[in-house]
Amino acid sequence: MTSTAIRTEHLTKHYGSLVALDDLDLEVRPGEVFGFLGPNGAGKSTTIRLLLGQARPTAGRATIFGAEASDVARAHQFLAYVPADVSLWPFLTGAETLELLANLGPGVDPAYRAELIDRFALDLDRPARTYSTGNRQKVALVAAFATRAPLLILDEPASGLDPLMEREFRRAVTEARDRGQAVFLSSHQLDEVEAVCDRVAILRAGRLLEVATVAELRHLHRTAGTGPAGRELSLEEIFLGYYGKPAR
Amino acid sequence: MNGAIVRLTLRQVRRSAIVVVVVTGGMTALVAGTYRSVVTGPPERAQLAAIAGNRAIRTLFGTPSGLGDPGGFTVWRTGTVLALILGGWGVLVMTRISRGEEQSGRWDLLLSGRTTVSGVLGRQVAVLLTVMAAVWVVVAAGLLTAGVRGAALHATGLALVGAAGVATAAGTAQLFASRAAATGVAAGLLGVGLLLRMVADGFAGLAWLRWLTPLGLVELSEPFGPGRWLPLLTLAVADATLIVLAGRAARGRDVRGARLGGPGRRRPSYALLGSPAAFALRRARLPIVAWSLGMGAFYLLIGLVAGSVTDLLRDNPRLAELAEQGGATGLGTPAGYAATLFVLLTMPAGGFVASRLAAFIGDEVAGRHALACAGPVPRWRWLGAEMLAAGTGALVLALVAAVALWAGGSRLGPAAALAGAANVLPVVALSLGAAVLAVGVAPRAVALLGAIPTIGGFLLVTLGEAVRMPGRLLTLSPYTHLAPVPARSPDLPAAAVMIAFAVLACTAGTVAYRRRDLGG
Repeated sequence: MTSTAIRTEHLTKHYGSLVALDDLDLEVRPGEVFGFLGPNGAGKSTTIRLLLGQARPTAGRATIFGAEASDVARAHQFLAYVPADVSLWPFLTGAETLELLANLGPGVDPAYRAELIDRFALDLDRPARTYSTGNRQKVALVAAFATRAPLLILDEPASGLDPLMEREFRRAVTEARDRGQAVFLSSHQLDEVEAVCDRVAILRAGRLLEVATVAELRHLHRTAGTGPAGRELSLEEIFLGYYGKPAR
Repeated sequence: MNGAIVRLTLRQVRRSAIVVVVVTGGMTALVAGTYRSVVTGPPERAQLAAIAGNRAIRTLFGTPSGLGDPGGFTVWRTGTVLALILGGWGVLVMTRISRGEEQSGRWDLLLSGRTTVSGVLGRQVAVLLTVMAAVWVVVAAGLLTAGVRGAALHATGLALVGAAGVATAAGTAQLFASRAAATGVAAGLLGVGLLLRMVADGFAGLAWLRWLTPLGLVELSEPFGPGRWLPLLTLAVADATLIVLAGRAARGRDVRGARLGGPGRRRPSYALLGSPAAFALRRARLPIVAWSLGMGAFYLLIGLVAGSVTDLLRDNPRLAELAEQGGATGLGTPAGYAATLFVLLTMPAGGFVASRLAAFIGDEVAGRHALACAGPVPRWRWLGAEMLAAGTGALVLALVAAVALWAGGSRLGPAAALAGAANVLPVVALSLGAAVLAVGVAPRAVALLGAIPTIGGFLLVTLGEAVRMPGRLLTLSPYTHLAPVPARSPDLPAAAVMIAFAVLACTAGTVAYRRRDLGG
């Protein structure tokens, strides 16, 4: 196990003639929350599928703590994952789903899981088919955080959460970072990214545009003169600037 | 908007609809067209009549009527099989395009327009009934030379059984929130219909039961005998009533809701959640129990009437002679009869394994594997677990069939019954192999490819025997290489070849599955 949580080298994925991801070089370290930004179709989910070994790269490679991403038995000892669109087995209750995921995952901290169930106000006795989008997401979040895996890969994990739960989510992310876990957070919620991320990567049309801390990004854009004078740029303004759209 | 739903439905069903129409029309025309070359003279005709009229055979194929002419022979030979194919297709397709789509959430979007649940359902039923009308045309055309009235009656009967499948499934799709439950209950009702018809044909005092089941009503119409429209009218009224009731049930219910079984809280059950294999068994256990009940009832019934085959031989020494020299009429002894019946076991067992692998792909398409495959469990283990559960289910079905046939009093020892059931398992393994191969290389066609060795192979030999197909073509079917166990000793080399093919296909499918991208 090396000290780098995620490393990609020239990671590339083509779907037929479509280039979904082109030559991505990335490094995520333990103890950091890494924001992964980009418009729809920029290649964020493709990157995550490649990191999870659920899709095979056309070229390049990805490693998770030194293990090849395709070597699922090893690489997945170190990670937990929350998909963007959480799909659960409709006939299993929330409690049964958590039990299954704990049995098949890299291990679980039952005490922390119980605490998270309480904090996310999860009703575990209903079958998953009756769960709303937000509730399904909460089940996946609790399962992932409770593993205490050294790497958390979160794909738009809070899109279905209400503001109260969103706050719990941010707290859990911060706790994970403070424990030395790495968090890879793909998100469209720029205020969330701004609040919790140490570094962000910005992706467009399958290519990496920038990797920097939020402060560096601000600095970069102020000197480039794109922001209104005398005010700190928001991440949203910076983000829109990358895609050539004026901020509102 | 209305046209759009009809067009969408057509797109969803056209491929399998074409297969069903071609198979029903093709089998009917071929069997009818080659009758004269198969049944050449009075001795063959007498032999056929003796066999078809026997109680045990009657239970299986239905009471023959007008066997002496091409039409009656075709109805007897193909009627039950085609009726089951049509009814089964009606059930599977109806629940797939209605409850399946609704469960997946795609109806949320569809019904945000001006259309209602009952509106969509009505159009879907209309499209499927149109397919049944096409079946009517091809079946009637295939039998036209055998007699216009009989052709019309038989075609109407088959189309109405297909419509009964559609109507029943349209109803269960309103009652249950999950596609699996809707399909299972509708298919179970179809199975009960078959069993009732079998009981009616096997036990003289219970002949009236025919009036309660689609297959029985079709039999009562006797297309190439006296020819009666009243039973078919009864079936048509029953179909229409079911469709109206389904429409009523669809009206006013919630989208994604169902008439039975609400949200309901329950206590957790943590059994069989510890490993991929355990979880695959957990998901398969209910289907295994349901299929076992059906199989058990079928073989118990067959066992109860099997004794009459021996009586037939005692009463008809000439037939016994023919049976012994020919070998083609293996039905003539209890062991031969049992062997023939165990061959039928391959179809539900093959269908079962194909449906398990299809459910596996269903989970992948629904995105459930994204979460499952995020754990440190390699993908091949998930597929292996599913193969294990499917194989276990097939073994259970074979065991249940053997025990039921023996318990029914088929004058067969338990060891002979077990050997007969075990003998057909290599064919089921081929279905498993085909389905696993499809998981790796053609995930959208798992059910279809998985059904080819068993159901496709069976149709090929049935047709081949009926029309005297060239031998080379028949060797393609695994059934050609199946020895009639327990009447004869098993063909072990053939079984080994089949198992080798199955292992090869499973391995290739697993390798391809490991290498391909995960869908969903």
